[in-house]
Amino acid sequence: MTRILDPTLRTVRVAGVVPLAPRPPRLAGASIGLLANGKSNAMTLLDRVAQILGERHAIEEVVRVAKTNASVPVTEEEAEALLKRCGAVVTAIGD
Amino acid sequence: MASAMGREREGVDLDDAWQAIEACYEQGWTDGLPAVPPTEALVERMLAAGPWAEDDVLLFEPARDRAVTAYKAAVNAVMAGCRPEYFPVVGAALAAIGDPTFELHGPATSTGGAALMVIVNGPVRQRLGFHSKANLFGPGFRANATIGRTLRLVLLNCLDCRPGVLDKSTQGWPGKYSLCFAEDEEASPWEPLSVARGFRPGQSTVTVFAAESGHNVLSHGTARPERLLALFADTMAGLGSLSPGRSVVVFAPEHAGHLAGEGWSRARTQAWLYEHAWRSLADLKRTGKVEPAFFSNPRLLEWLYRHHAAGVPSTPPDPATAERITAEDAEARVHRGLGPDDILLCVGGGEAGGHSAFFPSWSRGRSVPFITKEVPS
Repeated sequence: MTRILDPTLRTVRVAGVVPLAPRPPRLAGASIGLLANGKSNAMTLLDRVAQILGERHAIEEVVRVAKTNASVPVTEEEAEALLKRCGAVVTAIGD
Repeated sequence: MASAMGREREGVDLDDAWQAIEACYEQGWTDGLPAVPPTEALVERMLAAGPWAEDDVLLFEPARDRAVTAYKAAVNAVMAGCRPEYFPVVGAALAAIGDPTFELHGPATSTGGAALMVIVNGPVRQRLGFHSKANLFGPGFRANATIGRTLRLVLLNCLDCRPGVLDKSTQGWPGKYSLCFAEDEEASPWEPLSVARGFRPGQSTVTVFAAESGHNVLSHGTARPERLLALFADTMAGLGSLSPGRSVVVFAPEHAGHLAGEGWSRARTQAWLYEHAWRSLADLKRTGKVEPAFFSNPRLLEWLYRHHAAGVPSTPPDPATAERITAEDAEARVHRGLGPDDILLCVGGGEAGGHSAFFPSWSRGRSVPFITKEVPS
């Protein structure tokens, strides 16, 4: 019997890696963040998403953040702004 | 089965080697080619050949919070077919693509379909048998083939860059299987690439680059540097990949010899190529290479208009300007890259033949820098 070892990270937990937040129970009354991922049409796409969300849920307001570079993570300041103001964040890439 | 550290390791138990190869496919762990089954014993030998503890993080990818440990790198290096003594080079290459300025998430996932080029310099070339001569980018050499392949397996297995899912390459290219080669320092008229990049002679290094597919530059017809280099500049100015990004030019020894014969330095050659690798702004507009979205990016605006009679616009031009061609546009040069240092020169390939190569950077924008790291001893 031979064991071959898993080359993926699926079974690995590494200190410092943050799990996904739980889904919000409802969107009514929540502020929704739109995080455009650094491509030129991302906010156009997200604006349409926000419009649909607004039709279906009584969302409070929309907070827009646009990254300038799709290859790098959101900055601490941007993340902080979204965290403080939003109940949920939608992100998209629109190339 | 427990590791040397007493840890139970996740895996799949199998009866024979053939089953193990098939299991790697079934688990979705390969690049399409058969992989060496990563058994405990092989992985332990790989890990032992590097200077790292198994939990040391060799590559951290911040966009998706992925940390690749020495252990996971070793599993993938075994699968790629590396000998254990290659592992320090694998680690250096992972550190290079993990440098924050390399912004790996882009070239790993973009429609552009970049390969991860690794250029090896220094005494490690002879010690590990890296190839730098005939069929430089082709098959036949274990160190080249397996170290380049390890990077791709790490992207597939650890960063989940699965084709069509996270890796959205429109077409990709075969360099994405593996693109690792050594510089033929002995055939170069210049100091080794590693020395040009600030390392001492005798240090072994890897230099990485996010590369589009290479373009052959064929010349058997001239030994005069300016005629020869005009061919390179023409290739580099091809509109298909013209961008403000970087370039790698790998001179065949024969072409390098023509430059050496006339005493052309590395810096002079870089400057000449930059100066002559350009197209007019009118050419770019005529072929849809000027996107209105560029106008809101000051660096791209500077790239497009720095040689324009009207100067660089102080405010973003009207989007219609992207297609409206003026007489000044026909005179305005738009160079490949932003300066001579954006052109990396090295030497390699067979002793015979006038075939060199130009590799454009991934992306229609600035793309990512060259990164050089020392190979640990």
